[in-house]
Amino acid sequence: MQIEISVIIYMLAVFGFVAWNIKKGSFVFDPSKLIPILIFIAVLSVAILASMGIGLGIATTTIMKIGAAGILFSGTLPMVAAGIGLLRFGDEYGVNIFYARNHIGGIVDCVSSLVMIFVGLLIVRLDLAAVGFFFFMLLPFTSNALANSYYYTYQGRANK
Amino acid sequence: MIDLSFLNAFADSAFFWSALIFSVACAFTGLAAVRLSLKGEAVTSLMAISTFTTVAGVSLFLISLPELFNVGFARDTAIALLVVGSIGTIIFARLFRTGK
Repeated sequence: MQIEISVIIYMLAVFGFVAWNIKKGSFVFDPSKLIPILIFIAVLSVAILASMGIGLGIATTTIMKIGAAGILFSGTLPMVAAGIGLLRFGDEYGVNIFYARNHIGGIVDCVSSLVMIFVGLLIVRLDLAAVGFFFFMLLPFTSNALANSYYYTYQGRANK
Repeated sequence: MIDLSFLNAFADSAFFWSALIFSVACAFTGLAAVRLSLKGEAVTSLMAISTFTTVAGVSLFLISLPELFNVGFARDTAIALLVVGSIGTIIFARLFRTGK
């Protein structure tokens, strides 16, 4: 029971931080400072655990798995927001709503690929990270091809 | 000495529940994409199906992990969905653009 309550508190903390970022519309803490601080906290936690007699490998694996869980929790809220956006932006907004939908699709792709890369690195599954990286490299071309295709097909219909 | 069993159990439980909740969020987005693909025109449907293949691939990759459900064959399906889905989207978008 204590473990489940701890997981819920961890989840709510990550959700709250991501929601705070979304509400503000930009980063609450600058990523160039936040990411080194998070890495420093993880290294410090591993060092504290190792100094208490726990093996270095076990401590590292445990802390990295907790970090991977945090990344998965942080990817959940943008994914749900993208789903709500796909549901809400209907055809009543005109023909150019496609570009907003394409942007939402890009957010889904970006969140998915970043989650795959960082979770794969943190739980030491390099195939997950490699596929995520390949997908991350490919997704701008996909979004650009879709927008280009829509622009020229719509332009063709408008000319006719 | 700190209780390592609690920390290990917390890490396993947190990873399991986070991956499960992320998969549920992917399923919700996938359902929204399927709804969009059924009501939109051709390029919108292509975009929505591309989004659906992405979230399906990520969910399948997550359930193939040994920390979760350890479904081995889901990994190959996920790789095929993610790679071929993106390339197929680009190819079909080019085809739609040329109009042939």
